[in-house]
Amino acid sequence: MKETFSIKQVFEGKWTQGAIPLVLLVALLLIIEIAAPGFLTGETLSLLFANTAVLFILATGVTFAILLGGIDLSIQAVASLASVMLAQLLPSLGFAAFPVAILSGLAFGLLSGIVHVKLRVPSFVATLATGGVVTGLALWVSNGRAITIEEAGREKTAWINATISGLSVVVLISALIGVVSFLALRYTRFGRQAIAVGAGEPAAWAAGINVDRTKIIAFAASGMLAAIAGVVLAARLSSGSPVLANQLLLPAIAAVIVGGTAITGGLGGVARTAVGALIISIVRIGMTFVGVNIFLENMVFGAVLIAAVAITIDRSKIAVIK
Amino acid sequence: MTIDTEPLKSVSDIERTTLMTFLPGRIAGMLGGRRWRSLAPLAVLVVLCVLITIANPNFIELRNLVRLANSAAVPLTLAMGLTFIILMGSIDLSVEGTLSVAAMVVVLLAANDSNGNDYGWWAVLAAIASGTIMGLASGLVQTMLRIPSFMATLGMWFIGLGLSVYMLGGSAIRLNDASIRDLALYRFLGLPLAVWVALGAFVLAAIIQYHTRLGRHILAIGGDEDVTKLSGVNVVRVRIAAFALAGFFFGIAGVLAAAQLGQSHAVIGDGRLFAAVTAVVVGGTALTGGEGGVVNTAVGVLIVTVLANGMILLGISPYIQQTVQGLMIIAAVALSLDRARLKIVK
Repeated sequence: MKETFSIKQVFEGKWTQGAIPLVLLVALLLIIEIAAPGFLTGETLSLLFANTAVLFILATGVTFAILLGGIDLSIQAVASLASVMLAQLLPSLGFAAFPVAILSGLAFGLLSGIVHVKLRVPSFVATLATGGVVTGLALWVSNGRAITIEEAGREKTAWINATISGLSVVVLISALIGVVSFLALRYTRFGRQAIAVGAGEPAAWAAGINVDRTKIIAFAASGMLAAIAGVVLAARLSSGSPVLANQLLLPAIAAVIVGGTAITGGLGGVARTAVGALIISIVRIGMTFVGVNIFLENMVFGAVLIAAVAITIDRSKIAVIK
Repeated sequence: MTIDTEPLKSVSDIERTTLMTFLPGRIAGMLGGRRWRSLAPLAVLVVLCVLITIANPNFIELRNLVRLANSAAVPLTLAMGLTFIILMGSIDLSVEGTLSVAAMVVVLLAANDSNGNDYGWWAVLAAIASGTIMGLASGLVQTMLRIPSFMATLGMWFIGLGLSVYMLGGSAIRLNDASIRDLALYRFLGLPLAVWVALGAFVLAAIIQYHTRLGRHILAIGGDEDVTKLSGVNVVRVRIAAFALAGFFFGIAGVLAAAQLGQSHAVIGDGRLFAAVTAVVVGGTALTGGEGGVVNTAVGVLIVTVLANGMILLGISPYIQQTVQGLMIIAAVALSLDRARLKIVK
């Protein structure tokens, strides 16, 4: 009895909740290194980073929403729409297609935020709804088909697939986004206020924080990062499709939660999400390596998500769990 | 997900005195309060039917009405299950996962083009049972691990989806059992059997909601969970039962979907969660719980189906349907939320 109690305390300590994912990550790396020596070389690691990049960008976006105690279920739709817009607009607009695609994500993120905050709709329904709106638009724009980025367009996306002194540009982009988001959360007024709102909304409000604005900015950031992820994905696959990112919603949310950000908000951050995204990526590679059927991936991630939520959630914040 | 914060209640109330917040409430008020609000979905349905008929008289042709009933069968059955969950103030995002598991089970156990099984109607029973088990698992996860239902069922969604895609080997498998296919093909009084099954599900759901203890307790939990608990109701057991009940309906819907398509594949559930949630909230069941019911949902299903059918008749791209449904969810939720009960919206 006494032992279970202490284990529980260890799990609930804030310090350990940040450390456990990191320990897990290192353990996973060591296990793979022992099972398949040569994994921890520069080449495979850079491949790992490149494969994690899109997931990490998506997860960073949704971290903002989760830190506030909300959730964004529209990221995969926004990313898909951005991929469609990039593929569709590259021939006519050239490089201008990039900002247009990314700004579309910003716009729909803003829409989610405004619907959630101003119409007082719970975020999971608000973003489920905007996700549907966005998916419908993506299907409509693309006529339900995948759009291949042709030769001329590929010249303009080549820079994303290039490498600069051994590091692929995708990794650099995601690292840049990670650092900017980390700094934004830690050192800007918006970041501190976002964490305050997540930690205790009434108190944050009473302290004079503009809760509504903070929330809208967070959802806008989530939408914009989702669009960036969609653009990067489209450039890597040389195609855009209205269902391109559909398989990424669950891994992205799982990455945030596994990294140690609590869905109750206020606890966590981008650094944890980076660890979480790497864990998800390694588990995925490990499953293929061990011979787990690729179709079972979703099952594993679903179970991992439930377990991680159960461990990281702060139940004292929820009076009634619905 | 709502949080009750009594000490700061007055402060939060003042904060919400913005125009945007009160506008939807005021519109609802202009419509004449609660009783009129409950009739609003029906009015929307009638207006919709009239408008579509004016634009394209083919709408009220018998052939089209049968088609309409046929395409409403699966959403109606799904939405019946989802209504109970939303009545509790929770949400079940596992609709698509559970439906695809049930469809997978029925296809793999009945005569099919992949293995030698031929269990006939036992396969249907097994499919409904598997749906119920998925629901039971959602309920157990939500109550025993004490995590919010949207997270528990998000996990179950992908567990179900992964399981069914794995069992199907990533391909489409045809359903060859003639008697199960008859659910979609055989007609009784001009309507396919699937429609009668869906109507049966509706009647069953109505009986459960209005005439059983479980139905009353679900409504009570949605109204106020703490009070319900203090009244001596075993809230945990009711919650688990409600999720299992929802899974039961999703299981039936999975069988119907497999029968209608004549096969099961990885994307059999795509878009179904969305249509079901739209139907429930458009029908007037509040996401905060405790208000609405299966009759509301039946109207909601008709609104969604009529609109989808009408858009096709009017030559509007079917791809835009999800967009319209999304906007309908936002509008319906914004109009129906009982904001006085919400201190914090997350």
